[in-house]
Amino acid sequence: MKRALPWVFLIIGIALLIQGMLPKRYATGFDVKCFAMLPIQEGGRIKPLDTLARNTLILLSGRQSIKLPDGARLDANTWMMEVALRSNIADQIPVFRIDNADILGLWGEAQSKQKYYSYLDLEPHFGVINEQAQAVDVEPQARSVFEKKLIQLHESLTLYHKLVHSFHPLTRSGDELEMEYAVWLESIHTGLDAIRLQQEGKPFDEEALNRFMLLADRYLELAKLSEVGITPPPPSIGKSEDDWNNIGQSLLDTILVNHLDPITLGYAKLLTSYNTGDVDAFNETLTLMHERTAEEINPGKLKFEYFFNNFQPFYRSLELYLMVALLAFFSWLGWARPLQRSAFWLLILALLVHTFGLIARMYIQGRPPVTNLYSSAIFVGWAAVLLSVFLERIYKNGVGSAVAGMIGFSTLIIAHQLSTSGDTLEMMRAVLDSNFWLSTHVVTVTLGYSAMFLSGMLAFIYIVRGVFTRTLTKEDARALTRMAYGTLCFATLFSFVGTMLGGIWADQSWGCFWGWDPKENGALIIVLWCALVLHARLGGMIRQRGFMVACIFGNIITSWSWFGTNMLGVGLHSYGFIDRAFWALVLFMGSQVLLMMLGLLPNYCWRSKLH
Amino acid sequence: MRQLFCIFSSLRLTVLLLACSVLLVFWGTLAQVDLGIHEVQRRFFESFTIFLPVIPWHGHWLHFPFPGGYTIGTALLINLACAHFRYFCPSWKKIGIVLIHGGLAALIISGFLTSLLQVESQLWVSEGEKINYSESSRDNELVIIDTSNPEEDTVISIPLSLIKEPGVVEHAALPFQVESLAFFPNADLGLRSQNPNTPPTLATRGAGVKMDIAVMPKPVTYKDNEPNTATAYIKLTDADGEMGTWLVSNMIDERFPAQTFEHGGKTYRIALRFKRYYTPYWIELVDFNHDRYPGTNIPRNFSSQVRIVDPEASEERPVLISMNHPLRYGGLTYYQAAFANSDTTSILQVVKNPSWRLPYFAVLAIGLGLITHFAIHLITFLRKR
Repeated sequence: MKRALPWVFLIIGIALLIQGMLPKRYATGFDVKCFAMLPIQEGGRIKPLDTLARNTLILLSGRQSIKLPDGARLDANTWMMEVALRSNIADQIPVFRIDNADILGLWGEAQSKQKYYSYLDLEPHFGVINEQAQAVDVEPQARSVFEKKLIQLHESLTLYHKLVHSFHPLTRSGDELEMEYAVWLESIHTGLDAIRLQQEGKPFDEEALNRFMLLADRYLELAKLSEVGITPPPPSIGKSEDDWNNIGQSLLDTILVNHLDPITLGYAKLLTSYNTGDVDAFNETLTLMHERTAEEINPGKLKFEYFFNNFQPFYRSLELYLMVALLAFFSWLGWARPLQRSAFWLLILALLVHTFGLIARMYIQGRPPVTNLYSSAIFVGWAAVLLSVFLERIYKNGVGSAVAGMIGFSTLIIAHQLSTSGDTLEMMRAVLDSNFWLSTHVVTVTLGYSAMFLSGMLAFIYIVRGVFTRTLTKEDARALTRMAYGTLCFATLFSFVGTMLGGIWADQSWGCFWGWDPKENGALIIVLWCALVLHARLGGMIRQRGFMVACIFGNIITSWSWFGTNMLGVGLHSYGFIDRAFWALVLFMGSQVLLMMLGLLPNYCWRSKLH
Repeated sequence: MRQLFCIFSSLRLTVLLLACSVLLVFWGTLAQVDLGIHEVQRRFFESFTIFLPVIPWHGHWLHFPFPGGYTIGTALLINLACAHFRYFCPSWKKIGIVLIHGGLAALIISGFLTSLLQVESQLWVSEGEKINYSESSRDNELVIIDTSNPEEDTVISIPLSLIKEPGVVEHAALPFQVESLAFFPNADLGLRSQNPNTPPTLATRGAGVKMDIAVMPKPVTYKDNEPNTATAYIKLTDADGEMGTWLVSNMIDERFPAQTFEHGGKTYRIALRFKRYYTPYWIELVDFNHDRYPGTNIPRNFSSQVRIVDPEASEERPVLISMNHPLRYGGLTYYQAAFANSDTTSILQVVKNPSWRLPYFAVLAIGLGLITHFAIHLITFLRKR
């Protein structure tokens, strides 16, 4: 039994992964997956519709799927199909999350259990929402909760409005849309003729001119509204890596090329067949649309992104890390070897999945691993887990697995919390557009964070085991201190080198090696603190316990540098302003202070006797 | 003496100084919310002492002195040097430590040098234009320009420190006295007709009179994107008596009526402007480019195709300055900073820092030192196991 245990847990882990990889089944017969893989250009890159659907739904509702009033669940892609093809139904789906009583109070509604509202629910209140949102004129940092939520709701409604108008001009039915397109094609000819005649001062067909102008105006409005490129520019006009056409531009380009874009027409056909329930025609149109786009772009990359979105590797590894941490904790109570082995094997599995996710993001984005706050959380966790694997290999006492599980789990939770602000694979602003510096400076600094947290986590285990249990032997304590010391040295090295590389980047980019910017200062404090701790240890000012308490304080410093500095809203590095996380940070720092106080309790309060 | 040496070389002092640095840097970061980066830099890091608000007392803060950046830096250098002489024993195992601390000393020194020697300014150049100066975005100067010679102007620059307090300034090249009647570090300027309740103007000549400009002093701002409008009333007097009083301000530029006057057959112009740094060569902007990510307004790259025209060195060549690719020329470095006027004006950051190479060597030494030191430790540790 004991020998088989690691295998049992490994198989459970793999089963969890396989379950995550299975494609979703849809009952209706419409090929939702194929629809979700249609390419679009948004936020500066080409991505599958799936990514847009998930990110938009998260922005509107904070979730990746919606619970309908009848209890059924609607996933992002089915929702997207309704938005794109049946907007009258989509308007009734409750996707807008409102949890602020003051906002509901704008139209005299008391807060109830209802958290989600549909576009139709809110339509009668657009006037007051708009009016109030226009009246907010303070800088984002200085806004009250009500003002922030109000602006957020206003932006959500605008986003939804734009999205509904991103695939076709609104009409009552599919037939009507295809008819409109036919009229447009025809009126281009007659309309242009009429314009020419009018300019030459000759008699012209006024009705043809008016019809042309009416439709052209309608499409011009769409061209200005939508931010989603749905089709590459016609080959005679541009290349697929240029700006893609949104629906309005695509219809206007018809004037130049004299035929409707096949993708634009495809969306109209999808609309007809989806509304009439013609499954075969729907799926056939999708195939044709994919064939057309495959001429312009690499469909393999989009398929991969769809798989990545669906598999959610970080969510899977999060589950595994939790199991790892639990197994490692239980191993200190009994059954040490088999449980530690199980934890270690699962840890390797989790790390593999985590690594896959990391590399997948790099492949999709074509960038080094850390490009924004979200990816820094993913990377901090990954690097700390990797270091812990080495620790576990060397010491074989479950400590490495325990810290790996805990750090992996918590950093991925943080990443999950940070992912609600839209596409996490966003484009880099011009200043940051340097793969060389992103992969050296940013990666090294982030490695420094990882090591700091790892040493802090080792100290956490030391203190908690020492104060609350009798399991911490003198030998364990020594081993833990050695691990924490080694990790802190690693942290010193990487934090210092990373910070200095940042200085060199800054000198190369804007002529200032050191500018006392908050993020720079944060990194500098880490380096100074490491130097302080190492010197204090060298001079005998702190011993084992003092060192561990200092490592816990390192957690506070690192979290300040990582998140706290961004909350000040000043300086070049304040790219990820996240006030929502402020209280989480305060809570974390408070918990660390508490831990430090525990660590400083006199010896007789410790259940493990180290002296 | 011996005791003093022991104190200055002690590890306790190192730890104390590092703790002070942590506190100073932390405070210096928080203070940026109100004071902006530049003011914080001046008060916290480029000073010997700073008074920090520590204890709240009846709605006020009690301030306590704390060592500033210069004090801590100097003390760390002394500590480092003393400790080196006290503890150093030649051994290959210690090579890392020596490298680290040598590099650190160089880094601290480079910090001092930069804060003393570095001059930052901005160069605004529009497409087709040729410019041979850059302007500070914070420091101002009072200038009196002799424009009689059509070939070139003679500029007399008077530092603001001389006119901040009312008083008289004389210059050998000027046949008249310059007297500051009033100086405002920051002010709003407006038409008197729209601001009727403002104190009467002291100006008797120039734009201040012609446009009847009212001066409304206001507190200095520390926001990085908001310049201070330095303003002054300047009276000129020659042997025959008063020539007139002009209102000068860095806001009064080419858009306003010219502030010129005649004296002794020469034409002069008076102005208070952002401090200019002239170069013996010109920078001509040929083309400015601003790339976006497709389908968005997120900027991807800015670049300026410029031409250096240097008659002294008889050099003339085209250069491309872009993000992360500056131009180093004539002891100055030109960085692409921003742009204006719907992509036709390029703004270059101009930095003069003769000591810019020092931190590179320092960082190299420390990096190598850290790697060797920790590698030696790791190898010994793994051997033991």
